[in-house]
Amino acid sequence: MQLKKIKGQMAVATCALLQAASPAANAAEAEWDVDTSLLYYSEADGRVQAAEPAIHAGRDLGDDERIDFRVVFDALTGATPNGGYATSAAQTFTTPSGDSTYVTAAGDSPLDDTFRDARVSLGADWTMSLDRMSKVVWGASLSGEIDYISMGLTAAYSQDFNNRNTTLTASLGFNNDIINPYDGVPIEFSPMRVANTGINRDGDSETKTITDFMIGVTQVVNRKTLIQLNLSLSLVDGYQNDPYKIMTVVDDPVTGLPASSFLTADDLSYVYEKRPDSRQKNILFFKAVHHLEEDVINFSYRYYSDDWGIKSHTLDLKYRYELANSYLQPHVRYYTQDAADFYRHNLVLGTDIDTAGNALIDYASHDYRLAELDTVTLGLKYGIPMGDDSEFSVRGEVISQSVNDSGVPAGQETPDLDALMLQVNYSFLW
Amino acid sequence: MKRIATVILLMALAGCSSMGVEPWERDLLAKDSMQLVPDYFDNFYDEHIYFSKEASSGGQGVGGGGCGCN
Amino acid sequence: MKNLKTKSLKLRHEANYWQGSFSAMASPCEVLMEVKDRAMAARILEAVADEARRIEQKFSRYRDDNIIYKINNAKGQPVSVDDETARLIDFSDRLYQMSEGLFDITSGVLRKVWKFDGSDKVPEFLAVSAMLDKIGWTKVQWKDQTLTMPEGMEIDLGGVGKEYAVDRCVQIARSLTDESVLVNFGGDLATTGERRNKLCWSVGRLITGKDNAVALFKLYRGAIATSGDAHRYLLKDGVRYSHVLNPKTGWSVPDAPHTVSVAAPTCVEAGMMSTLAMLQGEKARAFLELQEVDFWVD
Repeated sequence: MQLKKIKGQMAVATCALLQAASPAANAAEAEWDVDTSLLYYSEADGRVQAAEPAIHAGRDLGDDERIDFRVVFDALTGATPNGGYATSAAQTFTTPSGDSTYVTAAGDSPLDDTFRDARVSLGADWTMSLDRMSKVVWGASLSGEIDYISMGLTAAYSQDFNNRNTTLTASLGFNNDIINPYDGVPIEFSPMRVANTGINRDGDSETKTITDFMIGVTQVVNRKTLIQLNLSLSLVDGYQNDPYKIMTVVDDPVTGLPASSFLTADDLSYVYEKRPDSRQKNILFFKAVHHLEEDVINFSYRYYSDDWGIKSHTLDLKYRYELANSYLQPHVRYYTQDAADFYRHNLVLGTDIDTAGNALIDYASHDYRLAELDTVTLGLKYGIPMGDDSEFSVRGEVISQSVNDSGVPAGQETPDLDALMLQVNYSFLW
Repeated sequence: MKRIATVILLMALAGCSSMGVEPWERDLLAKDSMQLVPDYFDNFYDEHIYFSKEASSGGQGVGGGGCGCN
Repeated sequence: MKNLKTKSLKLRHEANYWQGSFSAMASPCEVLMEVKDRAMAARILEAVADEARRIEQKFSRYRDDNIIYKINNAKGQPVSVDDETARLIDFSDRLYQMSEGLFDITSGVLRKVWKFDGSDKVPEFLAVSAMLDKIGWTKVQWKDQTLTMPEGMEIDLGGVGKEYAVDRCVQIARSLTDESVLVNFGGDLATTGERRNKLCWSVGRLITGKDNAVALFKLYRGAIATSGDAHRYLLKDGVRYSHVLNPKTGWSVPDAPHTVSVAAPTCVEAGMMSTLAMLQGEKARAFLELQEVDFWVD
């Protein structure tokens, strides 16, 4: 072979060899990434105990499309506060099912220990890419309990900017909930029914709609820092009472004893609570994730306010401490809220409600969750990656909640709540 | 509060041009631990529990709740 | 990842890219991907590995279920081939013309007499001469996508197969991402395009005869292929017989370089340039200089 220049011929021949239509990339044989989890939740003093197994599975469908499914079961038992409070005398209440009574001893906080519930919750999300820089996530959810059904739809549109360093998201959510109290819908401010009397009820079910709007921005600050800021507006319309919570009607706010003569002698001196049928919530949420040399800090702050007069601050900090082949993650959460405007310890006969049973105030509830309260949570998680993309982790959290009952006569305060969460997770690809 | 939030949002947007990384600098951001919600069910359970124990909820997204527990 | 595991693919994250690796075509294969998320990296890696293994199965001469086996065992009967095989044979036909017979896909039968195991077992002159009857592209009829070959002859597309696989995989990667991906099959490598921020891909390269010292290719775009294998030779009476065989004589090309690496827009071009350079023996360097390509000769 004479030495000659063949570069051009070679290029032509190669071009012919490779010109064939680019082989269609094999449709990605996507696989499911699966998260499974089991939560055991236990409140001290025989209050609520819950077990919640859950599974989430998501898979990429190619072209930035993705589907996600979630199934969560929830089984609860235990005692839950009924809206009353401890007094110097024993108190008798009717159970939510309306067919029996229970007695709370003098000096004890009234707890309804017939509380049982089971819940199934299903969720599905479909992420649809619009173009390289934008996408929509459609979501649907359904959850059912014996006395509550919720159906929800969500849509979230995201647009990337700045080399994908900035993402703006606009989201819309709509929920339609149906409340079916065990023994019908109690008439607001009507006396707690005597067992098996079938009175003071107005129908079997109520509804509630929730419309959520959120705009958010996620920003990559630098190689190690990511921040997120969300503003949400949530409008709730419809039935928002807790149908099982009652309020104590008293003659004398100091003793706090149930009124001796309210309506008829047969009536228990407790009335069902009443909350506004609309609620507007405004939420600001900020989150920052920062990578240190090895470890990762995940911090969030939420400011919440609504037109029920509740304002709250939530601080959440997780520190992921990397070990050789695993990690430890301490968690601290602090929450503090003001009371709702209509949160009341009890209803004073003659001032808040007259002897004929007519309410003289618009709304009232003694649900401690609407009181001024703080929650402190301390947790620790240990995670260990197990080879190819699977990870096992276990998490324990201690929650302590205390209600600030200033002004409430001694002995009638809402007791503190201590709870424990134990959770195991196993994530894998399948 | 709304006004403050709007100002913060605008500041965040204005700051974008000087923030950010190039695609090849996303090594750390790509890690699971650097995601906004790194633990699917930790977050899910937390939201669920505090929804039933506190008066506030939401902030991270829309929907959710859907529970007679509050 | 289940699929990664079942397909023996490995994926790990490096400083600013994903590195996938697997084994195919008797070589360590590597895919470097400047993509952000693992799912995308896994998709690319899987698609690349699938394609590499598809090509290996289809064109390997070690199998008895593919088109190569069918052609080599047709006993003189015509064999019709599919489009892809036809393009590879067409390409080999042109290489045969360009190289004036030095590149010949029928020369594989010489392996029967030449065993490059580092020993001194240089074949007998007569044994080599006897093989020449079974070599020669001109003895093959190649027309209308049908190949008719005398019994006893064999074709082997291994000389272009790996480079072809690299280029095909690059095409696939390009269809999956706009980010830069580098495909490296046992030292034959190509990229889908330039990396961001003018970074280059650095690929280790063995320099033979220098205690296996590793130098780095810095590759911004295009492809690099290397021919030669420092460990495949015979040594007899002080004469080194390289594994590069001249199909016209049946003998080892004298004074062939140990290795030749060439940079070109595609891996096929780079690979053919380096193969042809090796066949030039002592004139390898002069050949490459004439081609005006970037090259490295050891």
